[in-house]
Amino acid sequence: MGSINKRNISFVGVIREWGLIFAILFIIIIAAIINPLFLSVNNFINILRAVSTIGIAAIGMAFAIMGGAMDLSLGSTVSLAAVVTMLVMNSPIGIDPATMNLAAIMALLAGICIGLAVGLINGIIMAVVNGRIGESFIITYAMQIIVAAVALIVVKGEFQAAKYPAGLFKNFGMGVTPVLMFVLVAVIAQLFMTKTKTGRYLYFLGANMDAAKMAGIKIKQVRIISHALCGICAGIAGVLIVSRVNSASALQGQGYELEAMACVAVGGTSLAGGSGGIAQTVLGVLVIGVLATALNVLGVSSNQQLIVRGVVIIAAVILDSWNKRAKLKEVA
Amino acid sequence: MMVDTEKNSGTVALRFVKRQPILILLVCYIIVIGIVKPTFVSVGNLKNVLIDASIYGVAALAMTIAIICGEFDLSLASNFMWSQIFFCFLLNEWGGTGFGIFAAWIVMVLSCIAIGALNGLIVVKGKINSFITTLGMMTIVKGVCLVFTDGEMISTNNEFIKMVGKGTLFGFSYLTYIFILLIVISFFVMKYTRFGRGLFATGGNYAAAELAGINVKFNKFIVFVILGLSAGISGSMFISRMRAGSVLYGTDLSLTCVAATVVGGTPLSGGKGSVLRTVVGVLVIYVLYKSLSFLGLQGYYNSLIKGLVLLIVVTVDAYMTRSGKVRRK
Repeated sequence: MGSINKRNISFVGVIREWGLIFAILFIIIIAAIINPLFLSVNNFINILRAVSTIGIAAIGMAFAIMGGAMDLSLGSTVSLAAVVTMLVMNSPIGIDPATMNLAAIMALLAGICIGLAVGLINGIIMAVVNGRIGESFIITYAMQIIVAAVALIVVKGEFQAAKYPAGLFKNFGMGVTPVLMFVLVAVIAQLFMTKTKTGRYLYFLGANMDAAKMAGIKIKQVRIISHALCGICAGIAGVLIVSRVNSASALQGQGYELEAMACVAVGGTSLAGGSGGIAQTVLGVLVIGVLATALNVLGVSSNQQLIVRGVVIIAAVILDSWNKRAKLKEVA
Repeated sequence: MMVDTEKNSGTVALRFVKRQPILILLVCYIIVIGIVKPTFVSVGNLKNVLIDASIYGVAALAMTIAIICGEFDLSLASNFMWSQIFFCFLLNEWGGTGFGIFAAWIVMVLSCIAIGALNGLIVVKGKINSFITTLGMMTIVKGVCLVFTDGEMISTNNEFIKMVGKGTLFGFSYLTYIFILLIVISFFVMKYTRFGRGLFATGGNYAAAELAGINVKFNKFIVFVILGLSAGISGSMFISRMRAGSVLYGTDLSLTCVAATVVGGTPLSGGKGSVLRTVVGVLVIYVLYKSLSFLGLQGYYNSLIKGLVLLIVVTVDAYMTRSGKVRRK
């Protein structure tokens, strides 16, 4: 009896380990049966391109969540980065063909700097009040209001259309460039979390703040770094969106924080902090991205897709928590 | 039965004020605004602030109870959305007779409770973090609202509802009385009943409460039912003022309620706090919002100041709490 049980567990264990990959394959197979065009290479590149911006934002959110905090200001940061990027590109140096490549680099840097600034403010306040997830929630909510207001003030509430010609900046959002950026950010983030001391400390901080402090970790410094990284990712996402859609508004990133949180949670990173990882988050992003495209192929309206997405979020988290409990039982 | 260590120090009212620096801040703020813009402090305007505060206030009371019990509800805004849309729809269908209005209200509130109970079931049975559960539920209910209305506004011309929204008793709107009644009930339940003290214990230390024989699972579940009920009540109060339901109304409800709770002084860690503090928090937030629009600033600057004040209040409050300089250790 014992041996049969063991075999059962190992079979279930495989599904558990690779659950998200199975989910992605399952969705792809169903969609391909209904519409064979789903399997084209172009479609997959399209999916990857579509998820690359939310993916980068989700990686940022993962930094905050793994450290046991939350960043609700992420969506507003995306908006602010987007409108400032647009201002840089629509300025004379962005329109002039001679200097436009320089302007593109400047726009990218501007986006990153804005993200960094918002992230630093979040992080410093969190460090000063020694905050946990509850404080981070309300502090970043206040920041969300503030940053959204700043974004509105910057463009006076007006929609900004692109005036700059095709060039380096437009290339950011074309072809496989955004996908490559997503991969690059993911790889750097993964290396940071697994190979650097600060990355390991971040897990520790998320798992148990008091213990981390007693272990001699500079928790304030780690907290600031985690929020700063989150902000930087939001900034990059903002720049990419502008380059993809060739326009910017102060509402561009609305709801991004919740979408990013959903990706992180579907990937299996606990919202309590201290667990999960970048790779899981990337898988979560892919599940949500592939699902959205598959639903589009099936002709489900965007309103109905909201319902499906909510069900998927809850289902994924329930399955994940069952897995974790089953694993704990095996160990015990 | 919890031991209340502060029971013997001073009168209830005095202790309450002592532990409420925010309340003093609120009074000072009203005085300052009154000097700058005397019209703001007119009785009529303050009554209007009270009416607006009543609608979100009802939801904020439930959110406070949930936070005390260690739970959280992001889907409250979507639930509120559903309640106004569904109530308008039902009023247009059945609103001809008195019984029809009553039935419409009951059915709407039951549907809101069902949404809350579903949240509760998932959190308790699935042992899932309430944050992510309600994030999912928020998306689902918003989707349902959008599918139901196709994104359009539903309005109603029901006379009875109009009367509830416009009617006054001794100069105050009915809505204010509903809010006060609910404050009294929730204060009494949280303070003096076994059930209410059990909610504190559940939020304070789940394992200890369970060992003490408190039905923690039932408590967690019932908190979500209360949240659903509050969404239904505040949704119908909102309808009585607006007489229209849309997915655009109330999107900021969940976070405003959390902000009111925290500004009032209930920590998000659970196990501590009081609904009276939240009433102060709601008033602070509404006086702030309304006074800003009174000062005639542009909309963007309004929300900028709103955010800044919220940030400062929360930061100062969190800093004081963490460093243990005031009250609630």
